[in-house]
Amino acid sequence: MLNQRLKTLDPILIFSMIGLLAIGLVALYSSSQSLVQSGSATNYFWSQIRWILIGFGALFLIAFFPNRLLYELSYILYGIALFLLVLVLIWGTEGYGAIRWLRFGGFGFQPSEFAKIATLLAVARYLSEEHRDINRLKTFLGASAFLVAPFLLIAKQPDLGTALVFIVMSLPVLFWAGLRWENLVLILAPGLTLFASFNHVTFSLVMVLILVYLFYVKPPMLQRVAYFILNVAIGLLTPFLWNQLKDYQKQRITTFWNPEADPLGSGYQIIQSKVAIGSGGFLGKGFMEGSQTQLRFLPEQHTDFIFAVIGEEFGFLGILLGLILFTVFLVRIVQMANTYRSRFSGIFAIGAGSIIGFHMFINAGMTIGLFPVTGLPLPFVSYGGSALLTNMSIVGILLNFYRHRFEY
Amino acid sequence: MINLLRFRQGDPRRLLFYGLIALGVAVLIGGFYNVQILQRDIYLDKSEQNSVKKETQVPARGLIYDRNGQLIADNRPSFSLYLVPAQTTPQTIAALSDLLELDESQIKKNFRRARRFQAVKVARYVEPEVLTILQENKLNLPGLEWRVEPKRNYLFHRSFAHVLGTLGEIGEEELIENPEYEPGDLVGKKGVEQALDKDLRGVKGYQFVKVNAMGRKIEPIPGKSAPPNPGKDLYLAIDARLQLFADSLFQDRRGTLIAIDVRSGEIITLLSKPDYDLDLFTEAVNPQVWSELMADSLKPLFDRSTQGLYPPGSTYKMIAAIAALNEGIVTPQWSVYCPGYFRIGQRVVRCWSGGGHGEMSMISAIRNSCNVYFYQLGLKIGIEHWTKYSTLFQFGKKTGVELLTEKAGLVPSKSYYDRVFGPGGWTKGLLANVAIGQGELLVTPLQMAQFAMILANRGVFYKPHLCHKLVDKISGAETPLTYPAQKLEDVKPEVFEIVLEGMRQVVAGGTGWRAAVWGISGGGKTGTAQNPHGTSHAWYIGFAPFENPEIAVAVLFENGGSGGGVSAPIAGEYLRKYFHYQGKFDYTQYRQHVQRQEQKQREQARLDSLRAAGAIAPGDSAAFPGED
Repeated sequence: MLNQRLKTLDPILIFSMIGLLAIGLVALYSSSQSLVQSGSATNYFWSQIRWILIGFGALFLIAFFPNRLLYELSYILYGIALFLLVLVLIWGTEGYGAIRWLRFGGFGFQPSEFAKIATLLAVARYLSEEHRDINRLKTFLGASAFLVAPFLLIAKQPDLGTALVFIVMSLPVLFWAGLRWENLVLILAPGLTLFASFNHVTFSLVMVLILVYLFYVKPPMLQRVAYFILNVAIGLLTPFLWNQLKDYQKQRITTFWNPEADPLGSGYQIIQSKVAIGSGGFLGKGFMEGSQTQLRFLPEQHTDFIFAVIGEEFGFLGILLGLILFTVFLVRIVQMANTYRSRFSGIFAIGAGSIIGFHMFINAGMTIGLFPVTGLPLPFVSYGGSALLTNMSIVGILLNFYRHRFEY
Repeated sequence: MINLLRFRQGDPRRLLFYGLIALGVAVLIGGFYNVQILQRDIYLDKSEQNSVKKETQVPARGLIYDRNGQLIADNRPSFSLYLVPAQTTPQTIAALSDLLELDESQIKKNFRRARRFQAVKVARYVEPEVLTILQENKLNLPGLEWRVEPKRNYLFHRSFAHVLGTLGEIGEEELIENPEYEPGDLVGKKGVEQALDKDLRGVKGYQFVKVNAMGRKIEPIPGKSAPPNPGKDLYLAIDARLQLFADSLFQDRRGTLIAIDVRSGEIITLLSKPDYDLDLFTEAVNPQVWSELMADSLKPLFDRSTQGLYPPGSTYKMIAAIAALNEGIVTPQWSVYCPGYFRIGQRVVRCWSGGGHGEMSMISAIRNSCNVYFYQLGLKIGIEHWTKYSTLFQFGKKTGVELLTEKAGLVPSKSYYDRVFGPGGWTKGLLANVAIGQGELLVTPLQMAQFAMILANRGVFYKPHLCHKLVDKISGAETPLTYPAQKLEDVKPEVFEIVLEGMRQVVAGGTGWRAAVWGISGGGKTGTAQNPHGTSHAWYIGFAPFENPEIAVAVLFENGGSGGGVSAPIAGEYLRKYFHYQGKFDYTQYRQHVQRQEQKQREQARLDSLRAAGAIAPGDSAAFPGED
């Protein structure tokens, strides 16, 4: 009976996930050794195993949930998520210089993690309702509102990395919901304007391009004018606002993009991470043999820089294994989204894949200095209960949908 | 793999997502490939630099012995205190600075420059009693560590100060000149410690240790370490017994005594008084002590033997004599009548013997140190010859002894006078003056001792040096520190014989009779150098034995008075001690001789008083040697 039920779950998704969890445990075991020997800190390895067991409980529970229940509860869950995000701003406790945690007794909880799932469910439901057409401005603004609310609340904490996740997942979600290519371009254009606005020539060029494009796609005249004015406003306001910033604020933004300019702060972390990964070479220094890891030159090695532990001790091969597992995992999610008959399920799957893929890409890229240090953990690999529970719950939802993939 | 093909149908938009995944993963693989494969060596280097630290081990400095193997300076284990910033509490710093009188703000300043787990040295050479107190309170002093480091230990506190010199932390300028040194190194600051620093210091040992990100030591790395190589032991040419004996002769007087073995140039004694306690400098010098030493009007830090510049007075008359004889300007028989004074232009200068010496030839002029004779001789030789022979006898240039602060002195020449007084702006009077060792001429006492060596050897000499040999502690290999003989070929042997006969007579009944050893003949010359700082400087230079000389001495008492009365007796005492150690002089017989002399003098005095009373006929007198 149980066996029959388990067979309805997708093995590719589950086993690629288990592979990533295993990589994470190996790295955590190695990283915890030096801490255990000094007798000071918690053993991340055993703590993570506890979280994984809890995660699997949640995964199976959700996977065998009544299918329609998630759809029905989505707005309520979204409401709860917003409520908790407000709550955390009032009563939250601090960690890493930002207020992210809600504590109930000894139990800590990050509402922003829960908000990812809830928001995704709500947007998916909103866009899959019958009368919605994402290519109409009204629907677009409605869907955007679902995303902007948690974005602002999380950015206020401040947790810019997590907040960005809500912006990043919006495009794939809207796209999968049927956004036309020309509208996608219109959504992306203001971002281009922002970067072009610091130089008169590039700014003028972008404005001309937008004008040409507007005549080419021919939206209603009023919208066309409003859109153009919006872009001009962005272009004019950005340099003005930039100059309003204090020097240290500007510096904070520039080091965000160029961490090597700050060798003692976030630059130190990236340099040590690159040294760890680079010195690992092709085969790595061996399990528990990495000097950067064991002597703790590598900072934040159980969370942000756990991939560097793999890179140092298992080399390029270990990295490749991790990337292959991620690729299989992500490809499988897209395949699933493509399979689901239900529009709601499909949109959710694409959003979930985007969230996990974005985390993976940013985190892995960060360890070799391709991206700034944002504090985004590596899904399934980094230590951390809230993120693990969220990601495994997402997998649970995907598996739930998969069991009902032929239902509308 | 279940089937990737089953989902072929469906939304073509999925292809964009596949593309994005592929692009993202490709970028990451490229990035990791670049870091891990292409730049691996760079990062491997960096990771080793991160975790491997070099620890220096200070070698024991070479020991210093005298020529007979008497230990003069060795090393004692001493304790240096370190603080580990990460573990140190403000209470530790407060307690330490209280106990050791350290500057609290300086410790904190040093902390800021150090890594959190890197121990910072806060005190060198902590007394054992203080260390005991600290060890007992270790639990209340978190962050405190101590290490054993060798410390210089002197077996004689004074007497050797100017020979040995001090140790100190290397200065920035020295670092630039000697790039093989490292900041914080202890190096010789003066004396042979400075001159032979590279031999004495040894080679530092290194140990490579693994450290963690906080600088805490994890484990030593085997195979990469090198033990420290102790410095070579130095055997000085100095005879410690004679050095101490010379010191005892000086008591509180200012001056210097130098004795050179004329057969090798080895300096047997080099004493400059007053000197200072070397122990004051083994620790970081107490600023108060330092300023006291600097302000001391007796200038104990000043090495009179090589840094002191003095007019040599009559001891320099041999230069004029040799110049005149060797250049054929006068014959040995050329004589001058000394009426007790001499007129140069408008000026009248007096001979030291107010009544005059009468008819003087070369030998008797040296014996009696007649100024009138040498004034006239000086005028005859002229400045060029005088300068030539001064330079020939090594004046006006450094001897090259292992005391790097040595001065060169000044030998005035025609061009010097032209520069100072203008061409033609100076008179012959200057010449008469330098001929008797006065005037602008300035020499170091070591140069005078060297001069005595050259004369004693009839023109042969060696570079005066303080060091005898170096011994490698590990292999036992000895490096003798010898220098080749040099010879003044231009000076004729017969010229030396005439001048030396004069010097022999100086000791044998002349102005330097008090320097006579008794039983061993010698040569010498007294000098009483007038100077603008008060009483004359008392000089004596000499050598013995007269044939086959062994030792040359130079004695100077600053503002000591008469050379024959003050310096010659000290030289005599020193030489007697020297020959006593050589087994060639017997104090018992000497004392009997002195007693006989004294008895004779008493007898003479008795006769004198009788004569004064008219009891004895005049003319029955005993000759007394003159004095310069």
